[in-house]
Formats: sequence, C-alpha cells, structure tokens
Amino acid sequence: MVELVFLVPLLTGVIAFFLPRTSGRPLLVITGFIHLLLSLILWIRRPTALLPSYFAVTPEGLLSLLVISLLFFLISIYTTAYLKEAAIRSENIFTGSMLLFLSTMTMVTLSDHIMVMWIAIEATTLASAPLIYTHRSAASLEATWKYVLICSVGIALALLGSVLIDLSMGVGGVDVPVTFSSLTEVAQRLDPLWLKTGFVFILVGYGTKMGLAPMHTWLPDAHSEAPSPASALLSGVLLNCAYLGIFKTNKIMQAAGLGNFSGNILIVFGLASMLAAATFIIRQTEYKRLLAYSSIENMGIIAFGTGIGGLGAYGAVLCLIHHSLIKSALFLSSGNILLGYGSRLIEGTGNLAKLMPKTFVAFFGGFVGIAGMPPFGIFLGELLIILGAFRSGHYWGVGLFILCICVIFAGFANHVMKIAFGSTGVEIQTKELPNMVWPQLALLFTSVVLFFWMPGTLYQTIVNALM
Amino acid sequence: MIESVDTILALVLLSVLFSFGTSRLPALIKIIAFQGVAVSIVPLFIGHGLSTGGIVFTLITLLIRGIVIPLCIYLAIKKVAIHREVEPIVGYHASLMVGLILIVAATFVSPKFNLPQSSSNALLLPTAITLLAAGMFLLMARRNAIAMVLGYIVMENGIYLVGTSFSVRAHHIVEFGILLDVLAGVMIMAVILQNIKQAFDDVDTALLRTLKE
Repeated sequence: MVELVFLVPLLTGVIAFFLPRTSGRPLLVITGFIHLLLSLILWIRRPTALLPSYFAVTPEGLLSLLVISLLFFLISIYTTAYLKEAAIRSENIFTGSMLLFLSTMTMVTLSDHIMVMWIAIEATTLASAPLIYTHRSAASLEATWKYVLICSVGIALALLGSVLIDLSMGVGGVDVPVTFSSLTEVAQRLDPLWLKTGFVFILVGYGTKMGLAPMHTWLPDAHSEAPSPASALLSGVLLNCAYLGIFKTNKIMQAAGLGNFSGNILIVFGLASMLAAATFIIRQTEYKRLLAYSSIENMGIIAFGTGIGGLGAYGAVLCLIHHSLIKSALFLSSGNILLGYGSRLIEGTGNLAKLMPKTFVAFFGGFVGIAGMPPFGIFLGELLIILGAFRSGHYWGVGLFILCICVIFAGFANHVMKIAFGSTGVEIQTKELPNMVWPQLALLFTSVVLFFWMPGTLYQTIVNALM
Repeated sequence: MIESVDTILALVLLSVLFSFGTSRLPALIKIIAFQGVAVSIVPLFIGHGLSTGGIVFTLITLLIRGIVIPLCIYLAIKKVAIHREVEPIVGYHASLMVGLILIVAATFVSPKFNLPQSSSNALLLPTAITLLAAGMFLLMARRNAIAMVLGYIVMENGIYLVGTSFSVRAHHIVEFGILLDVLAGVMIMAVILQNIKQAFDDVDTALLRTLKE
C-alpha cells in the first residue's frame, strides 16, 4: 500500500518514455490525480509499509508527501496547457522524466532507512537532469552539467555522512536497524563524535541539494534553464526533499542531546544563504534567476528556524509548506511571462498588469506572499521564527535575519514593479489560457486558507513531526 | 590474508599517484578501471566471513565499478574523439607532489581516529581517506570535464571502501541500490559529456561560463 504511492508514477513514467509525442499529457494529469488520492489515503489511514525496514509513514514525510502530491497535480494541469504553447522537442522524455521525478521524490518522503533515503535523493537528481536539459541549448547544457556534477558530489558526501552514522552505531555498540526512527530512539547510546561528523557531512551533502550557501551555485542555473513547470517542481518540492534528510538527521542529533551543536551549524548555513541571496537579488537581471535566489533565501530561513528550534522550528515547517505553494505559483507564472514576452530578462518585460492581467494577479499575489506579507502563510512562519530566536537569545542572528529579509524585500519589490508596471513596447505573443492561470491561483488560495484556518489534523501532524 | 589486503591497498594508492601524473585520458580511464577492480575485491580479503550473497554482490560490484563504469566513459570519449589536451589548473608534476602529500597526511591522521578495524588492516583507513581527497582534488584541479567525472568516481570508490570496511551490517539490496545510482549518474554524465563536446567542440569546462550571478 505505502510503496504503491511511488510505484504508480514509476510505472507510468517508464510507459511515458515509449508513448508517441503528445499522448503523455493526459497521463501526467491522471497520474497526478491517482497520486493525490493515494497520498490522502495514506494521510488518513497511516498504514505500515510492506518493507518496514526500508519505508515508513512518518509525520514529516506525510507533510512533504501531501505538498508534493497537491503541487504535482496542479502543475500537471498547467503543464498540459504549457506543452501546447511551448515547443518542446522530445516531449515524451519530458513527461517521462516528470513522472519519474515524482516517483523518486515520493520515495524520499517515505524512506526510513538512512541509505534508502540517500538512494532516493540521488535518484531525484538523476530523474530531474533531463528536465533541465529540455531546451537543448548551450546554456541549458551547462546548467545540467553543473547540476549533475555538483549535486552528485555533494550527495556523495551525504553518503559518507550516512556511513559515518552507521559507524557511530558500531563504535557505540548499538545494534538496531539503520532507520531514522530506530536511530532516534537509541540516539543516546550512539558514539557522539562520529554522530557529529556524520551530521556535518549529511548537512553539507543534502545542503548542496537544498541550495544552502555556499553550495548553492548550481541552483539559479538549473532553476532558470529548466522549463517553468519543471522549475516549479524543482523549487517547490525538490528542495523540501533534501531538507527532509537534514531534518531527520537533526532529530537524531536532538535526541542524542547534541541539538545545540547541530542547531548552531544550521543557523550559520541559514544566515549565509540569506546573505548570498540578498547580494544577488539586488542586482539580478533575469526574473527566473530572481525567483531561484529567493528560493535560496527561503531555504536559509527554514534552516535558520530549524536551528533555533522550538517555536522557530514550527515556523520553519510553516515556511516550508507555504514556500512550496507560493514559489511554485510564481515559477508557473514566470512561464507565462516567458511565453508572452519571449525574454528572460527583467528589462525585456514590463506592464504585465495591462498586457497579461490574469498572470499579473498570480505573479503579484505570489510576490506579496513570498515577501512575507499577510494573508499568506510565510508571514506567520517568519514571525514565529523571529519570536523563537528572540526567546532563545539569538539576538545577533535574528538581527542579521531581519536585515536580510528587508534588503531582499526591497530588491525583489524593485524588480517586480518593473515587470508589473514598467513601460515596454513588446507585443504579447500568446493568449492567457485558463489552465495556465488557475493552478497558480489555486496554490495561492491554499496558502491563504491555511493562513486563516489550519485544520486540526494538519496542526497535529506538524507538532508530531517536531516531537 | 592480511598481507594480501595490504598489497591490494598499496596498489590502489599507486593508482592514485598514476592518475595524478598522467595527461592522457585513455590511460587515466584504465587506471580508474584498475582502481575500481582493486577496491571492489577488498571485502573478499578483509575477513568479515562472507556469505554467498556477499560474494555475488562483490562480483556485481567488480563488474560495475571495474568494467561498466569505465567503459561508459571510454565510449563517451571515443565518440567525441578528443585531440587537444586541456591544460589542467594544477600541473601534472605539482599534482604528483600533492598526491604524495595526501598519502602521507592520510597515513598520519588515520591512527588518531581509533577505529577497531584499523588495527588489523593498517592501510585501510589511509587508503580510503586518500581516495576521498584525491577525488576532490581531481574535481578541483582539472578543467577537463572527463577528468572531473573520473574524480567523482575516485571519490565514490573511497566512500565504498569506508562503507564496506567499517560498517558490518551490509544490506546487499541497499548497497546494490547505491551502486545503481552511481552507475546511472555516471551514464548521465557520459551523455552530458557527449553533448558538451558536440555543442562546444571541446570538453574544457572553462567554456561553461555563460551562466553567472
């Protein structure tokens, strides 16, 4: 039952590779729908896996799974319209890779064995590499090369980290299955030195994939060169998957009484990412790269919040969910802008409010959300992180945090104003199809709804994940 | 038995030095293939008491690390037929020197880790650390995209050595999954290599500098 959730997209993905050019489109939506149904069933029934030593349904995994599932379903509807407008040469490879990508990401959320987690995260890199190379240009080739090489090397370090945690069991004389859940239970008896070393390697490794500075260099390239639906998936959910690896390891550290050690490292990496994003956002010239740097910022915020712990950790989970919803809406809207204006440069756009009013609503709404203003959930998340940081006495850290948020807001707003209201002589090349607008609005609407009304089961799951 | 492990590991260390000193890509690939074979047979001699499944898995590792992966890279460069040498960032003689320093440093720090297994096989940990560092070094010191992929493989060999030697609870299914991931990764890299060559008519990564900021 549990394994079915990732086996279904795996199967349809493999089939999609061999289908004729355009017939993969309905398959995307159908698979997305089945996946969403299965995820909801998992959420309600919480069954145990057929292979309990490798897979398990955990609260943090369920949260990520539901986000992935909802996003993929909406993105798949957008994609069917997008594929009609954008000329993509080997469409079957694109749809097949999208489905395999979904399958591998689902596997990440359900894996409990520390090595299976690694296998799944590395598999996400491999499944998404063809997506980035979709346009077959020299720039996209470069982006794919950087993505595959930097992420593979980074994730190799995470493998070393996982081996070292395994070693900490050997040195500590513990013999339990190498799963996150059982390691958290026996964390006190693990050898602290090797556990710490393992955590650092895992943080650097999965941090590369998550886009934490200074290992983020592949991210803006990959996210800007991939077709927009793929960018939305990369930014919206792939980063969460990598974060899940760090989150679960951090949980072991906290159970072992080393929460301070891991927390401080997370705070440093988080602030470094926010600083890097702030520097690059101010003088950014391309809007998709702008969004990519904003993802780096948000991953920094999430790492910072997780490092603070307590209230901050709860805020970080909120930021994680809402960042996925809002950022994917923004990337999908940027796809409309790219199709309409035919330019990646901010200079090449302008007057979006008049020329593409529906896209404007989605894009501007997304901007308001990502900038951390109510009524979108990131506002709440950031507020809780700041409160948590003040409570735990991280005054310097929170000062820098607020400074970065302000600088990024100023830079981002400046660019968005140019896109939305700046003057331009460009003729719009496409119509705004309904299917290319309402998925974004649905995503933003979900974020607003969750701001005002958090269902009890969702709240309980977040709290259980943090326990 | 212990002596044979040390002989193999010494050969692995030598292969690192060779790989640092050579400028010819086909030779480099052969060295990495040899290194893959040598690293994958280490578990046979280390004396964990191998089961049938363990032996089968070791043979599969040998096949993939020693033959399939190098063959992928070899076919990739054969198709793209590289004539011109790409100047490395760190020269070959300097690289050799770095290699020697790496080995000495790894030997020096290894006893400080106090691992139970390292007392019986003195060369195991130094070799693993050297491989990790050597892979990193190749990634940083070469501009040639193929040499960078080979650097990644060297690093993977090092991690494999750490994994098989120091963790006792090997799940063969899991290990096999890791191996498949590495294999698929190298295959994708080989495809990208071919495309880079077709797009830029070279494998110099200095050409890959259009995306920044």
